[in-house]
Amino acid sequence: MMKMKKAIMPVLAGVLAMSMLSGCGSKSDGGASGDAVKIEFFQNKTEAKATFDKLIAKFNSANPNIKVTQVNPPDAETVLKTRVAKKQIPDVIGIGATDTYSTLSKSGLFEDFSSDPLTKNIQPAYLDMLKAQTGLSELNGIPFSTNANGVIYNKAMFKEMGLTVPTTWDEFMATAQKIKDAGKVPFYLTLKDSWTTLIPFNGMEPGVVGIDFFKQRKEGTVTFKDKFREVADKQLQLLSFGQKDMFGKGYNDGNVAFAKGQSVMYLQGVWAIPEIQKANPSIELGVFPFPATNDPSKNKLVSGVDTLLTVSKSSGHKAEAKKFIDFLLQSDNAKQYITEQKAFPAVQGVTQDDPSVADLKPAFEKGDLVDFADHYIPGAMKVDTIIQGFLQKKDVDAYLNSLDTEWDKVANRK
Amino acid sequence: MAKRRIAYYLMTIPALVLFFAFHTFPAIKGIYYSFTNWDGFSKTFDFVGFKNYANIFKDENVLNSYLFTFKYAIVVTILINVLSLLIALGLNAKIKFKNFFRGVYFLPNILSVLIVGFIFNYIFANVLPIFGEKIGSAFLSDNILGSENWAWIGIVIVGVWQGIAFNTILYLAGLQTISKDLYEASSLDGASRWREFWSITFPLLASFFTINMVLAMKGALMVFDQIVALTGGGPGRATQSISLLIYTGGFQGGEFAYQSANAVIYFIVIIVISALQLKFLQKREMDM
Repeated sequence: MMKMKKAIMPVLAGVLAMSMLSGCGSKSDGGASGDAVKIEFFQNKTEAKATFDKLIAKFNSANPNIKVTQVNPPDAETVLKTRVAKKQIPDVIGIGATDTYSTLSKSGLFEDFSSDPLTKNIQPAYLDMLKAQTGLSELNGIPFSTNANGVIYNKAMFKEMGLTVPTTWDEFMATAQKIKDAGKVPFYLTLKDSWTTLIPFNGMEPGVVGIDFFKQRKEGTVTFKDKFREVADKQLQLLSFGQKDMFGKGYNDGNVAFAKGQSVMYLQGVWAIPEIQKANPSIELGVFPFPATNDPSKNKLVSGVDTLLTVSKSSGHKAEAKKFIDFLLQSDNAKQYITEQKAFPAVQGVTQDDPSVADLKPAFEKGDLVDFADHYIPGAMKVDTIIQGFLQKKDVDAYLNSLDTEWDKVANRK
Repeated sequence: MAKRRIAYYLMTIPALVLFFAFHTFPAIKGIYYSFTNWDGFSKTFDFVGFKNYANIFKDENVLNSYLFTFKYAIVVTILINVLSLLIALGLNAKIKFKNFFRGVYFLPNILSVLIVGFIFNYIFANVLPIFGEKIGSAFLSDNILGSENWAWIGIVIVGVWQGIAFNTILYLAGLQTISKDLYEASSLDGASRWREFWSITFPLLASFFTINMVLAMKGALMVFDQIVALTGGGPGRATQSISLLIYTGGFQGGEFAYQSANAVIYFIVIIVISALQLKFLQKREMDM
């Protein structure tokens, strides 16, 4: 009985949070702005709340007949799911291209933007990513900002040791070996937090195997056993360049340790940069794409949609909702967002000019981008847990086997 | 008479309604969902009969979490009961600062499990390794929570540290129900302390022993918060308890119905274990 209670608690909490939200909504309905159309903008990034507030204020004053309000609850994805279950879907939604996005898209909750003029100025690579991720012919969201994942390196230490940014796997390993020989730690690994094991996995998978693999796996024409041995070997190879007690350290430990110069490189996404700079504001760092293979043309930058914008099919004010999205996509507004958020733009013609991510600029300009591989793996598989277990046991065959059996098991339960 | 009965109804019915609305009804709904393929938010779902239940028995991860949970629960139950009985005996003796010590030993019970977990997480990650390096032990100089073989010990330590407080209070209450005359009589007869404990104290504590065993076991079987704060179920699936598996699979993995089936099975398992424990231990109480 207690067990049930535990399982039901988060749902109850969600329902409570929802009723509070709807309470706020109805209050503002009777507000002073008279017959202005109310648009609810729901988004999941707490870091971006202030930036969105500024943009919304700008939009509201330019459009007196529309009033946009922002909703940004903690644990937003769960709140969104409960609101969907209650059929109170917000008008405009901003979330990451996560498993939540795909499952909600598949249940047909969002507008189809495939022939919408709003997509005109968006990097095509990201539009394709969203479609590939859901596997639908519809396009259910408009990419707004993106992130990237690769290898963060300490520029000052690289210069001091005479190292250059590696572009192939062999160069990458040689660089790591040189650092190790000099008595320093090449990578600070944070394997206690299982999700961080996904960073090198996502970095290697597209170059070594290719994102298409997951589609073929669904059709049953390939297996992990056939294709993933190289990824597995490389995952193990990275371990030999980690620090002591790598299984005992987590993401926060890693950010601080790298900031203090305890390792020369750090396998993380650009989202860690503000955290690292907080721990050491004077650090000189850079990011390069993960050199997964020995063919530099195959080593694309792993970059996914950090925030996408979409409109609920059940919204009563779709025209106004789209007007708001159009406003956010205008280049000066998009620029303001990515500058304040240190994110990358999905809108063409807008650039992120922060010096710490200058090495990634060519990849963005050429559109040499590839999506996060784990977005194509069902969430119920908990692939990060499988990888974490593998890195402990170091048994490649057992690892490949469990990837296959877990995939089949989850598919079979659907 | 009738008036008094109304008063009793007024006392029980609101509680019954609340209990039904927030406890029984969700539980029944959970059982209902366990026969569907609902993912937790879709508009539609289908009935799949016993498919979820059949899949549970084929799922190695479920078996793995049962093995971990029972290993954990048995060790924790034994340790908590032995240690809290010892502490209670000490606190019941005529020692200085008795009330101060009672306060100190009760403190863990009023701290939130999550906070205790995060504190211990810090100790395991940063304090113990420094100590381990000083004494030159390779084993202690790594975070034990990062080791597949030893992470569960870390969770046991936190579970026991916190669990002892409540059980100590119950044993202490039990010890105070034992009449002093019995000890006076036994000392006149020249019984040793050891003999006194096994022939007087322990038998007279039997009903407290029963309730402590059941409570500690039940608490340990539902271990969740400590794991979230310490390891998140890792490394790999080494410390994934059944509750944690149900929560992560059901809410993060979008397999609400499947994990509901898991929860229903676990619910039955806990009932059976508690009933067996009560039956066995109460029979023992009678025999003594």
